[in-house]
Order: sequence, then structure tokens, then C-alpha cells
Amino acid sequence: MSRTTSSMIAGAQAVAPVIVGIIPFGLVAGAAVTSAGMGLAEAVGMSLLVNAGASQIAATALFAENAPLFVVVGTALVINARMFIYSTSIAPVLVPEAGRWRALLGHPLVDQSYAAMMTKGRYRDDIRVVPYYVGSWLVLALVWQLSNISGALGGAFVPASWSLDFAVPLVFLTMLVPALRFRADVEAAIATALSAAILVPLLPMQTGLIAAIVIGMVWGALRHHEHPAVEVDA
Amino acid sequence: MSERETFWFVILALAGGTFLLRSLPFWLHGRAPAPRWLERLLRHVPAAALTALVVPASLYTKSNGAYEVAPARIVAAVAALLVAAKTRNVIWTLVTGMAVLWVTQGVLGTLGL
Repeated sequence: MSRTTSSMIAGAQAVAPVIVGIIPFGLVAGAAVTSAGMGLAEAVGMSLLVNAGASQIAATALFAENAPLFVVVGTALVINARMFIYSTSIAPVLVPEAGRWRALLGHPLVDQSYAAMMTKGRYRDDIRVVPYYVGSWLVLALVWQLSNISGALGGAFVPASWSLDFAVPLVFLTMLVPALRFRADVEAAIATALSAAILVPLLPMQTGLIAAIVIGMVWGALRHHEHPAVEVDA
Repeated sequence: MSERETFWFVILALAGGTFLLRSLPFWLHGRAPAPRWLERLLRHVPAAALTALVVPASLYTKSNGAYEVAPARIVAAVAALLVAAKTRNVIWTLVTGMAVLWVTQGVLGTLGL
């Protein structure tokens, strides 16, 4: 087995434990597209081209609520701004091996492929990082695509009384917990929570969501300046 | 534009913007350092963005465009938060959150609330 193949398999194995976690997420994302009145082509196109679940669900939900397009795209892009941080921090690991096509390595960057590389992959000397990274993403993308399709096909049949839309914040909640590493993160989260609770029902067209995120970011940045990197006891 | 064309516009705009967010740092690496203030601001995006996606959806339900406080969702979200903090496991968090939501909705419904 070539080094490339074994590295891809190692990457795939690294994300295997989290696969079960993205299935309900993909189902919800796919179901959102059909309940917004769109079809399978849109569900597949969106998950292939955007490849970022949280923003897909948010954009689809806002679109279904007839929010103006700048709010739909703007909110989703703010949600994806974390990719910019991931990319900044993973670049020193990947770029030396990537060569001239390095900008293309942006597309496979998702929460789970980032986490696998930064917590496991980069410490292994028996793998090459680029195929490891691509291998982890291929598994994630396959499962993501299949669960989006299943959600798009089957979502219409789930009765509304099951409140399955609540699965969306629950998935975000499990992503939130590890993001609260430093005290400034916790404070940013609290500032966002209070702002969102007040502003989202108050401001028109879901603009409260963007406002709350910006308030939390700025608050966190200001507090971080005072208390750089105080870790929360976990 | 038809509804469908508008949705494809959203897909393409979101895909293009997201690709730039993901790829710019790769392209810039070793060419230009990211400004300090930008790094400091972006450091808290995960905590802020994820909180904004959790909190309103756990406090309110929306019917006909109006927000209503949803006690069952609040109870379920708190239970799920405790499980998520304890186990850091997606499945357990989902199972707990949905189960507590259904039970609480049932109980509140029986009490006529």
C-alpha cells in the first residue's frame, strides 16, 4: 500500500468516530432544503458547493422565511468566518506539503477535518498530511452527501409534531462546548446569548443574529485584551 | 428571478464567499501576515456564532412570524447543555435533548400549559 493510500485511510479512520454525529445534521440540512420548496438538485448542489452544514441550514431557513438576500448570505458567511481561523491555524501544517494547488485545499476544510488534523494527524510521523486531510474529508463528504439526500427525500414525511427542527440547535450545542476553552470565549458566548435573546425577536429580518454575533466577537476581543488566554477549568 | 433561481444565487454566493474564507489564509501563508486585530476579533467567532445559533432556537418557537417563549425547549436545551459539557458526545446530546423535549412537551400539554 502506498504512503498516499495509507495516509488517506488513516485520515478516514481519524474521523470515523464523529461520522454518526453528522448524520442527523445532514438529514436536517437536506430536509430544510425541501421544506423551503426546493428539490434534490438544490440539496445536492448546496452540500457539494458550500460544504459547510451550519451555514447551509441557516441560509436555507432564512431563505424560507423570505429574509432579504444580504441577510441570508451575510448571516451564513458570518457563521463560516470560523473557517478563516481554522485555515489560518492549519496553513503552517498543510502548506509546506501542498505546492502550487494549496488554495484548493480550502474546500475540504470543515470542523471535523480540522479537528482531526490539529489534534491527531499533525503529530503522526507515519503519514503525509495532505492525503490524510483529503482522506478524512472524503469520508465526511460522502456521509454528509448521503445524509443530505436522505433528508431531502425523507424530510417531508417527518411530522412537525416531532419538533425535529430542535435537532439543529442541539448539534450546534455540541460544537459550542469545545469552543469555550478560554474565559474570553465564555464571555463572548454570554454576550452573544444575551444579545441574541433580546435582539433576534426585536430586529427585523433576522438581522438580530448577525448583530448578536458581532457584539459577542467584539466583547470577546476586548476582554481577551485584558485577560489573554486564561483557560477555563474543564 | 424565480424562487429557484434566487436559491441558486444564494448557493453560489455562499459557496464563493466560503471558498475565499477557507482559501485566503492558505494562499497568503508565507506571503503576508494576518493583521493582529483581525486575528483577535476572529478568535471568538466559534463561541459567538454557535451561541447565536443555539440560544434563540432554544428560547423561542416561531408561529406566523411571531416569536413565542418555549418552556419545553428551554428545559431540553439546559439538559442537553449539561450532557454536552459532561460527555462531549453528539449522539448523547441529541438523544437527551430530543427526549427531554418530547417528555416536557407531553407533561406541559397534559397540564394544559
